[in-house]
Amino acid sequence: MAIAILGERIKRKEDPRLIQGRSHYVDDFKLDGMLHMAFARSIYAHARIKSVDVTAAEKMPGVMAVLTGADLKGKLGLVPCAAGMEGLKVPDHPCLAIDEVRYAGEPVAAVIATDRYLARDAAEKIEVDYEPLPVVVNPEKAIEPGSPLVHQKLGDNLAFVAKLEGGDWKAIEADTSLKVVKQRLVNQRLAPASMETRGVIASYSPGEDMLTVWSSTQIPHILKTQLAIMTGLDEARCRVIAPEVGGAFGSKLNVYGEEGVACFASRMLGKPVKWIEGRRENMLATIHGRDQINNVEIYVQPDGKVMGLKCWIIADLGAYHQLLTPAIPTLTALMILGCYNIPNVFVETKGVFTNKMATDAYRGAGRPEATYIIERIMDIAAREMNMDPAEFRMKNFPQPKEFPLALPTGVTYDTANYQKALKKLTKISGYAKLRREQEKLRKKGKYLGLGLSTYVEICAMGPSSRMPAGGWEFGSVRIDPTGKVTVLSGTSPHGQGEETTFAQIVAEGFGIPYDDVTVFHGDTGMVPLGIGTFGSRTTAVGGTAIHNAVEKLKKKMARIAAPKLEVKPGELIFESGKIQTKDGAKSVAFGDIVAEAIFAKQLPPGIEPGLAEQFVFEPPNYTFPFGAHLAVVEIDAETGEVKLRNYYAVDDCGRVLNPMLVDGQIHGGLAQGIGQALWEDHVYDENGQLLTGTLMDYAMPKAHQFPWFETSGMETRTPVNPLGVKGVGEAGTIGSTPAVVNAVVDALSQHGVRHVDMPLKPEKIWRILNQPMSA
Amino acid sequence: MKIEGAYSIAAPRETVWQYLMSPESLAHALLGCEKLEPAPDGSFQAVLKIGIGAVKGTYQGRIELADVVPPVSYRMKVEGKGAGGFVSGEGTLSLSADNQGGTKIQYSGEAQVGGLIASVGQRLVQATARQVVNQFFQAFSKQVLSPSAK
Repeated sequence: MAIAILGERIKRKEDPRLIQGRSHYVDDFKLDGMLHMAFARSIYAHARIKSVDVTAAEKMPGVMAVLTGADLKGKLGLVPCAAGMEGLKVPDHPCLAIDEVRYAGEPVAAVIATDRYLARDAAEKIEVDYEPLPVVVNPEKAIEPGSPLVHQKLGDNLAFVAKLEGGDWKAIEADTSLKVVKQRLVNQRLAPASMETRGVIASYSPGEDMLTVWSSTQIPHILKTQLAIMTGLDEARCRVIAPEVGGAFGSKLNVYGEEGVACFASRMLGKPVKWIEGRRENMLATIHGRDQINNVEIYVQPDGKVMGLKCWIIADLGAYHQLLTPAIPTLTALMILGCYNIPNVFVETKGVFTNKMATDAYRGAGRPEATYIIERIMDIAAREMNMDPAEFRMKNFPQPKEFPLALPTGVTYDTANYQKALKKLTKISGYAKLRREQEKLRKKGKYLGLGLSTYVEICAMGPSSRMPAGGWEFGSVRIDPTGKVTVLSGTSPHGQGEETTFAQIVAEGFGIPYDDVTVFHGDTGMVPLGIGTFGSRTTAVGGTAIHNAVEKLKKKMARIAAPKLEVKPGELIFESGKIQTKDGAKSVAFGDIVAEAIFAKQLPPGIEPGLAEQFVFEPPNYTFPFGAHLAVVEIDAETGEVKLRNYYAVDDCGRVLNPMLVDGQIHGGLAQGIGQALWEDHVYDENGQLLTGTLMDYAMPKAHQFPWFETSGMETRTPVNPLGVKGVGEAGTIGSTPAVVNAVVDALSQHGVRHVDMPLKPEKIWRILNQPMSA
Repeated sequence: MKIEGAYSIAAPRETVWQYLMSPESLAHALLGCEKLEPAPDGSFQAVLKIGIGAVKGTYQGRIELADVVPPVSYRMKVEGKGAGGFVSGEGTLSLSADNQGGTKIQYSGEAQVGGLIASVGQRLVQATARQVVNQFFQAFSKQVLSPSAK
C-alpha cells in the first residue's frame, strides 16, 4: 500500500526550527569584524541638497566611513528597474541621493561604524542643508499642466501611458439600449509591513575576491545578478543567500539601494557590513502597495448581460521606479474583466511620478486592484438593474465548457467553474436566509450587509515571454548513496512552506518516506539557477521543475531495474520503497537501484553513473485560480464601527498538495485583504510627509478583529503544469477586499449610499450615517 | 497645520509690544529656549529643545519678523531643524486693546513639520504646539505684569 502524501495535511518541515527560535534570519548572523551601517534619510519630500556635512559624524570614535551620493557616483550602479514597456520614462535612481531628494525617507548618506547604535547616532550628526522644492503628492494633480515636477529632466510626471483595447467599441457606443454604470474608486496606498524588516549583510573577502551577501529577499538569483552589475564584480564572484525570511508579501521582490551600498562599503573596507532596517524606515522606505485611482464604467444590456468595460487607471508610482514599479498597474489592466465574459474592453493606464516612496508588488500586485474595480462595479450595476448581486454575476459567467477562454484583454484563462464556486458559497453561507435576516433587521433600523466577491486571478508567473527576467524555474533532485534525497529549488520561499510541499512531491514520486527528502533553496552558491518566489508561482512552476526532475530520475532508475526484473522499464512503478511491476509480483528495493546507479558496477550500456537530474520548467501559460467570497457585516449606528460577523470563502487553486498550507495562505490573505477594506491606509500629508510612520499610526489588523473564516475549497485542475496546481499565495487578499466593501455598502444602501472609498473606518461610516440621506 | 488663538494680558498695548519685541523676554518665556540672538540680517538665531512624544531633540532655528507695525502687528517666519526633522511656519501676531484696559494678543499661522516629527509624532504635534504656545503666554504675561521678576 502506498502512503498517500500528496493532498495530505502534513505538518511543515520548517516549523520546529522556526517555532523554537532555532533558525537564522539575517540579523542572527554575526561575522568576525562585522561593521554596522545606518542611513541618514531625507526629511523633505522634495528638496535640493545644497551641501552634506559629514565631518561631525566622521569624527565620532568607531565610525569607519561615511558615504554620500557623491562618493558612489560612477562607482556603484543605479537601483535597477526591470520593467520594460514602450515609452517608459526611467529616471536615474542612485543608491544615495545626488543633488536632489524626491521623497521623505530617501537615503542621503550612510554611516558604517563598529556598533549599530553608534552608526545611528552618527547618522543623526550628518548635516544636510536642503533647499525645499515644490512638492506634488496627488497623482491626479501631478499630471495637470503646471504641476511641480518630480524629475525636472523628464519634462512631466507621466512615466507611461499604456492602452489595452479589445472588441468592437463602435457597436457598443451606438447601442442606446445599454445602460452605462460609472464609478470612481480609490485604491489606497498600503504598507507591506512584513514582521521581519529588510536586512542585508555584505561580506567581501579581498583575498578570494568574493562577495557574499545575506539578504532578506524573495529573489536571491536576480539580486546576485543585479548586485554584480551594480558593483562591477563578475557574477561568479558574487553569492547571495536568503536565509529565513520573516515575511515579504512582494516587498522583498526587489533590489534596494541599501543592498548596493552595503556591498560597496564592504568592498571598500574589506569587512562585513550589516544593515538591519528599523520599523520606521520600513514604513517609510520599503516599497508601498496599491495606490491607484480608477474611473470605471460598464455597459449593461437590459437583461443584465455586461457588454463592455472601460477604465481609466491612474497609478501613483512614487518618485522612482523600483524593480517592477511600472509593471504592477499593467497587471490590473490584464485582469480587469474578472470572471466575466465581457466582449469589449478599453483600459488606459497612466503611471505617475509623485514625491512619495515607490509603489511595487504587494500581495496580489495589481490584481487586487483589478478585482476591486470589477467586483465593485458589478455590485453597483446589479443594484441599478434591480438584480440580486449573485444572480447578476451568475448571468455574466462564462460556461465551464468554454475554457480555455481567450479574453479581449489578451489573456487566456485555463480552466474554471465559476458557477459551481458561487453556488457552493451561497449554500454553505445560507445566503438566501441571510437576505431574509437582513430584511427583518432593516425594519428594526439595524444595518446588516452582505458582500459578494467572485474573483479570478493570474498566478504561476509565468511564461518567460511575459516576464521581465524570465518566468521559468529550476529544480534539481539528487539521490545520495544512502538513498536519501536532496532537492534544490531556484524558488525562494519565505514562510510559504514549500520545503514541505516539495518534499511531498518527491516522496510521492519515488514512493519513499517524506522524511527521506531534504529541500534547500535561497543560496545561489548551492542552487545554480533560479528566479524566485512571487506571483503565486513557487509550487506551480518551481514544484513542477522538481516533479519533472523526479520523473527523469525515475526513467533512469527504471532502465536500471528493468533488466533485473525481466520487464520493460515502462511496466515499473515506484511504491513503498520499491520499484515494482504494477501487480507487485516482481520488485526490487529502491535502495538497491540507488546503489547500482551510484556505485556503477553493472550499469546497462549508455547509462551515466549517479542519480542527479535537473529540470528547468517553462510554463506555457499562467494559471487562473478563482473563488467566491461572502462577507457579512454589521454596522453599529452609534459608533459607525463595522463588525465583520462572518466570512465565507470558497477557493479553487487547482490541485491541492497540502490543504493545511492552502488554509494558511487563505487565512493570512483574507486578513490582509480585509485589513485594506476596513483599516489600513498609508497616508502622506500635502507636503509629502508620511503621517503613518509607525505601527501606532498605521492600522495593522489584529487577530481579535476577525471572525473565524469559514473556508472551503474546490479543485479545478490546470493543464498548464503536470501537477495541476494553480497557486494560492495571493487569492485570499484579492478576493476579500471587494467582498467587505460590497457588504458595507450593501448595509448602508438603505441610507442611500452607492459607494464609500476605503478604508471603511468608523469615523467615515459615522459621518455618513449622521448626515442627511442622499437622494 | 493651523495654529491660532488669543491671549489677554492686563497691561497696556505699548508695554506688551515692548516685551514682544525683546529677544531676552521672549527667550525667557519660551520653554526650552537655549538661545535667541539677533543675527546681522535682522533675523534671530534660536536654539530650542522640544520633545514631541518620542521625538525629543534640539532644534536650530531662525526667526524673522516682517511687516512690523508698532504697536499693532507683525508677521513672523520661523524655520527650525534638528535630528527629529524640521518645523517651519509663518503667522501673524496682532495686538488690540481689550475692553478692560488690557491687551488682547491674537495669533494665527500655518506650520509645517517634516521628518520624524511628522511620521512619528504627528498625532501629538497640534497638542504640543498648543501647549508650547500656552506655556509661552503664561510665562510671558508673568514677566509683563511683574517686570522686577525678569
